[in-house]
Order: sequence, then C-alpha cells, then structure tokens
Amino acid sequence: MIDIDQYAYNNNFSSFHPLEKSFFALFTILITLTANSFMTSIIVIAVISLMLITAAGIPFKFYLKLLFIPLSFLIIASITAVVSFSRELNNYFFYFELGGWFFGLESKSLNTAVLLFLKSFASICCLYFLTLTTPVLEIISVLRKFKLPEIVIELMMLIYRFIFVLLDTADLIRTSQLSRLGYSSIKKSFFSIAKLISNLFIRAYYRAQGLLTALVARGYDGKIRVLERKYSFSYKNIMIIILFETFLIIISIFGGGNFV
Amino acid sequence: MSKKVLEAENVVFNYPDGTNALDGLSLSIEKGKKIAILGANGAGKSTLFLHFNGILKPKKGNIKFRGKKVSYKKKELKNLRKNIGIVFQDPDMQLFSSSVFQEISFGPLNLGLSETKTRERVDEAMQIMEITNIKDKPTHLLSYGQKKRISIADILAMKPEVIIFDEPTVWLDPKHSKEILGFINQINKKGTTVILSTHDVDLAYQWADYIYIFSDGKIIGEGNSEKIFRDNKLLKESDLIKPWIIEVYEKLIQNGKISSTVSVPKSKSELFELI
Ligand SMILES: Nc1ncnc2c1ncn2[C@@H]1O[C@H](COP(=O)(O)OP(=O)(O)O)[C@@H](O)[C@H]1O
Ligand SMILES: [Mg+2]
Repeated sequence: MIDIDQYAYNNNFSSFHPLEKSFFALFTILITLTANSFMTSIIVIAVISLMLITAAGIPFKFYLKLLFIPLSFLIIASITAVVSFSRELNNYFFYFELGGWFFGLESKSLNTAVLLFLKSFASICCLYFLTLTTPVLEIISVLRKFKLPEIVIELMMLIYRFIFVLLDTADLIRTSQLSRLGYSSIKKSFFSIAKLISNLFIRAYYRAQGLLTALVARGYDGKIRVLERKYSFSYKNIMIIILFETFLIIISIFGGGNFV
Repeated sequence: MSKKVLEAENVVFNYPDGTNALDGLSLSIEKGKKIAILGANGAGKSTLFLHFNGILKPKKGNIKFRGKKVSYKKKELKNLRKNIGIVFQDPDMQLFSSSVFQEISFGPLNLGLSETKTRERVDEAMQIMEITNIKDKPTHLLSYGQKKRISIADILAMKPEVIIFDEPTVWLDPKHSKEILGFINQINKKGTTVILSTHDVDLAYQWADYIYIFSDGKIIGEGNSEKIFRDNKLLKESDLIKPWIIEVYEKLIQNGKISSTVSVPKSKSELFELI
C-alpha cells in the first residue's frame, strides 16, 4: 500500500496529466473486457507491463510482487472453471477416469477459462498502471472534475492525509510499547494492541479537534476550497493513446480467435 | 507612541473543564514589532493566541483589533482572521491536505480571492519559504522542517497584518531553528508584526523588541529584553534562567574586565567584541 503510494509520486509519468492516464487505463480496460480476443489481452498485458517497467521506471521485481497477489487468486479460479466431470465421455481433449466418472478438460471451457484469465490479468495491469503512476490526490481531482459530491471529495482528501498522520502516531505508540517489552508474550501483546487501538482513537479525536481549530483560524466556513495543481495536456500523449486504443479495437475485431 | 494593532484587556478565560487558562491578562502589541511571549508549558500562551484570532471568546474582558473592540459578528471575525494569522505549533495538526499546493491555496480562497490571484499568492508564499522544489511531494513524505515551512507559507499566502508563531522552534534542531527564525525576521522586515511564543530565553533575548512573561494565565513581567533579563527578582519568580550572554556580561563586570557603563551586548558577536 505505502510502497505503491511512493511510486505514484516518483515515476517518470508523474508529470503527465492525470486525465490522460485515467482515460488510458479506463478505455483499455473497457476494450479488453468487451473484446473476445486473446490477442487484445496479451497485447495489453505486454504493452502496459513494458511501459511501467521501462518507461515509467517501476522496478521489475516490485511489479512482479504486486502482480503475484491477484494472479494467484486468478489461477486458482481459472483452474476450477476449466475442469469438468461427467458420467459420459464428452469432448474432452484430455481426461482421466475415476470410479466411473470422467474428469477432464473440455476445449470449449478451456477457451473460456483462458480468455477469462487473460482479460482479468489485462485489467489488473491497467489498474496497476493507474495506481502506480497517479497519486491518490490526482485520482481524487479527476473524480472532482466528474462532479462527484464535494463531501465525498473532502472526505477522501482528509482520510488520505490522516492515514499517514495516524500511522505515524501508531508507530510511535508501538515503539514505546516495544521498548517496555509490551509484546514479549502473547498475553502482553493482546493487552498492548488493545491499548494501542484505544489510544489511537483518543488521539484521532484530539487531532480532529486541533485540525478544526487550525482550519477555522484560516477562515474555514464549512467548505474546503482548494486549487488543484495545473497540468497541461500533451498532444503527443493524447495521440499515442488514441492510436493505441484504435489499434486495440482493430486487433479485437480482426484478431479474435480461439485458443487450442 | 506608535500604533497598537492588538490588545487584550483584563481577559479571563476558562476551558469547559474548569481550567483557568487566562486570569485577567492585559497586553498590547505594537505594529511592526517583534514580540516574544515567554512562559512555561501551560502558562496560557496558546490560549491567548486563539483569542487574538477570534476562535476563543473571553469570559471577561476584551480583545481589541486596531483599537476597536472585537464584537464577534460574523463579518468582523472574518476580517480578524484575515489579518491575524496563526502558525500552529504542530504542522501535522495544521496541514490538512497531502498536496502542498492545495494546502496553501486554502487560506487565500477563503478570503474570496480569484483563482488567478490565489495562484499568485501560493507561488509567492512558496518562493519566500523556499519550498517551490517540494511542491509536488505529498506531505507525508516530507521532513518535519519542511512541513513547518509549509505551515508558515499557509499563513503568508493570506498576507495578514500580524503573524503569530506558536513555539516555532520547539521540535527543531539548532540548524533548522535558525533557518525558521531567519524566515520570521524576513517576514517582519517586510512590515508584518510578529508575535512568537517560546520558553527559550536565549532566543527571546536576542530576537525580541519587547517581551512579555506569562505565568499561570497572568503577565508577571514585561519590557525590552535588557530590562527583563537583568531583573533577578522577576527571573526567580518566573522560574526562568538568565540568557548566557547576560550571564557572561555580568561576570565580566564583576571581575572588572569591563566597566559597568558598557552597554549590554545583544548578540554573541557583540559580546565577543567586548572581550
Ligand atoms: N482544549 C483544552 N481544554 C481544557 N484545558 C485546556 C485546553 N487547552 C489548554 N488547556 C489548559 O489551559 C492551560 C493553558 O494552556 P495553553 O494555553 O495551551 O498553554 P501554553 O500554550 O502556554 O503551553 C493549561 O493548564 C492547559 O492544560
Ligand atoms: Mg502552547
């Protein structure tokens, strides 16, 4: 979580307009999901991964680690989707028999499963593209442009800021507990954790009060007005995005086909 | 007599839990000056500051801004908050946005300034505080000193007449304290009245034009720094120690190294010249 946040600020795409990045990610997901094409998904996975690693400068190892979490779920889900069993011998292209039942792989369901797997994989890559290159605040500012209610935007902004403030506080409390052997046995650990959480609540409450005072001191009247940093659109980027999406659509139309 | 910007007249204030934070306190702040408020923790410094900005209202007594009693009407409060800025002690308490730009733009926008004007103000404030280079970093990846600078830029962007710094150097190392003090002096030179609270006697002695000493919600001494810090009785009463420069100076007189007619050195370099 925190690592993703750090990369979001320190990558070679961070100066690009957040709208460009959001559109790129969303359109690509949309095309991948609607197209019934292996090619499309494979191209998306390859292009986005290459972009993130070579152009944006996300370390390969870190990216693999990130992918590993959803991929492991995906693989398990796909396997269960692809294996079928029945009393008769169906169109299995691979099977084995066990107590009068045939367990096997049907080419049709294998097709579906692989397509599903690739589509999900490609969508995950797109989402990682957005979260790894675009800071949360800018995603929020895109949402603001799309006229999400102010209250939701303000809450997101404050929550994002205070995650880190409270994390620091929790860290401090934990360190002081550790230095007094607060976690030296299971029983003590439970006690210390309980204390940490209740302490955190109290401090969060005082923080909220203090924050309100500081806001009022600067003329707060119930509405948080702020300006966004200005980004400029890059015609080059927009052209690249349009070309890539068109290319994807064409591939999806003509390059569709079956696996196996 | 020069102009008074802010005054407190016999201000009494208790917190809801009964703590008697201010106990009939009076003082006045002259325009353009550097005022230090010295006092131990819990003496009532922060409480007074919140009165100056209209966040707290005295139970008894008055706050005056430009010679006029504050009436706590909405419009007047707005004007007061526009002109009296507070840089809070803990920047983590003050900064509400993870974006430096958003953060600093909040004050000017509340003043009703246009977007263009606000951008100008934000850029100018970032330039003065030398934080333009970190404007794209999120707050949580910045150091304490950097956050402190942002919290000052927050207020600078509103261009108030008076800026109050609540213990600005308290958690900073000597190098960063010096930097922040440099900024504060720079702000004062451009005509802004500056009030600063501290419990660092050396800082107050060398920096301030005028000093108030707080204890238990009252003022127990005031004057220019020489007067305050050569008053042994007052220092004893307020549990303050003597600034080391004065201590050395008095020792030099005692030992006959310099005559007692020599004026008190104000800084380290002035003291070294005497020796
Ligand atoms: N929000 C509060 N509620 C109750 N008591 C408070 C509150 N803030 C400060 N106090 C009390 O008021 C007194 C003055 O505090 P403060 O103005 O913060 O002093 P200083 O800034 O000089 O350290 C202290 O006794 C403190 O405990
Ligand atoms: Mg205080």
